[in-house]
Amino acid sequence: MRLEVNIASKEYKNAAGERHDVLAGINFALGVGEVGVFVGPSGCGKSTMLRIFAGLDHDYQGRVSRPTGARIGMVFQEPRLLPWRSVEDNVRLVAPQADEAKLSELFAILELNAHRNHFPGELSLGLARRVALARAFAVEPDFLILDEPLASLDEALAARLREQIAMLVDHRPVMTLLVTHNVDDAVRLGDRVFLLSPRPARILADLPIPTPRGARGEAEIATIKADIARRINGDRSQRDAS
Amino acid sequence: MPRLLSFSVFVATWWIASLLVGDAKLPPPPTVLAAMSAEARSGALFLNLGITLARVALAFVLAMSLGSAIGYLMGRVRLANRLGDPWLILLLNLPALVVIVLAYIWAGLTEAAAIAAIAVNKLPTAVVTLREGTRALDAALDEMATVFAMPRWKAFRHVILPQLAPYVAAAARSGLSLVWKIVLVAELLGRPNGVGFEIGVAFQLFDIPLLLAYSLSFAAVVLIIETLLVQPFEARLSRWRPRAA
Repeated sequence: MRLEVNIASKEYKNAAGERHDVLAGINFALGVGEVGVFVGPSGCGKSTMLRIFAGLDHDYQGRVSRPTGARIGMVFQEPRLLPWRSVEDNVRLVAPQADEAKLSELFAILELNAHRNHFPGELSLGLARRVALARAFAVEPDFLILDEPLASLDEALAARLREQIAMLVDHRPVMTLLVTHNVDDAVRLGDRVFLLSPRPARILADLPIPTPRGARGEAEIATIKADIARRINGDRSQRDAS
Repeated sequence: MPRLLSFSVFVATWWIASLLVGDAKLPPPPTVLAAMSAEARSGALFLNLGITLARVALAFVLAMSLGSAIGYLMGRVRLANRLGDPWLILLLNLPALVVIVLAYIWAGLTEAAAIAAIAVNKLPTAVVTLREGTRALDAALDEMATVFAMPRWKAFRHVILPQLAPYVAAAARSGLSLVWKIVLVAELLGRPNGVGFEIGVAFQLFDIPLLLAYSLSFAAVVLIIETLLVQPFEARLSRWRPRAA
């Protein structure tokens, strides 16, 4: 099972009728068990790209071939929970096949057991994010899409949630795409890091990280981060020079 | 308790007013109560109230279901909105009397004509409210349902309907009060029974106690239905909302 993406371009027409290029050249393939992380400046079209991968947007030039019948689990940038259903119902509604044991395990990993009967309006953003994650994992996805799942959480919480995501991703065979503007998250979670240019976004570099997630030492992470920073800044100075 | 207080203030005001303007124009509460119990003993009161209630229920259900479906369609499909809008404006502004009279002329003085005329009067407000509700649906949640491949009916029930519920409640609330008002006119003009018919008879005979007896019994029924059915329904729909007002 493989995800193959060849997006030549994507245009966006704003309310004033002006055309903008959002994407220009997103080409890559992702296999099962791989976590691909997109890193790019904010506003570069990352969310637009994810919407195309998820099959929500068909108006683009190019091809995205998802394995047929692949179950998608997605965590949107905002949690997008149903405010009128309890936490547990929010998860069960999209995953009717999930049995109690499975859900308990998931809720336990994400530390949500105490909140099962709460309504989303009663949750903090961090908790709501975790519910959104629980929902995405409960469907036992073949293809997992995470849109900045750790943004605007405090450092300690983000680190814990990052570990939980890593654990869930390693738990089952799944293709994962994650978008972030945090290089640290990218290096700690990804098997491959895709660097994106500013709008219109194209892939500047496809950097594989061969060491498994769990085995990466702080020194190695620092080296990769430095490499990424150099590439991002290098690209910027090149553009400035030209 | 506050309800009881406001009820006693109402009765007291009525009594004082009847003393001031005289029995002939405004009979005091005991006279009206006597007329009411006489009608109740003969069974006419309950029969007429029941008939009127049945008409209200039928017209209300008809207008709500049809109006909600049309409103949802007009909110979702641009072409439906374009086609339906002129009709909607026409119906919204058509006087109730015109609809009722035309219905009786075209369909005869029948039960079907009465109920259809009442329903047609309520229909456009339900359409407008539900259309607004449909336009206000959260596209982000629709996308969520699509990505997670929720079956269509399930998405409708758990994603769409809860968002429409406040609009349905608003349409039901305003629609019910409209139906209460119009049903009496329809009965007055072309039915041989019901509260409206009795009020018409009382008017012709200048029997003010009878007129008030029917009006107040009707008002009491409206109040009971609002308190026992409509308000608990609204409360249930909004129980997930943090208590604000």
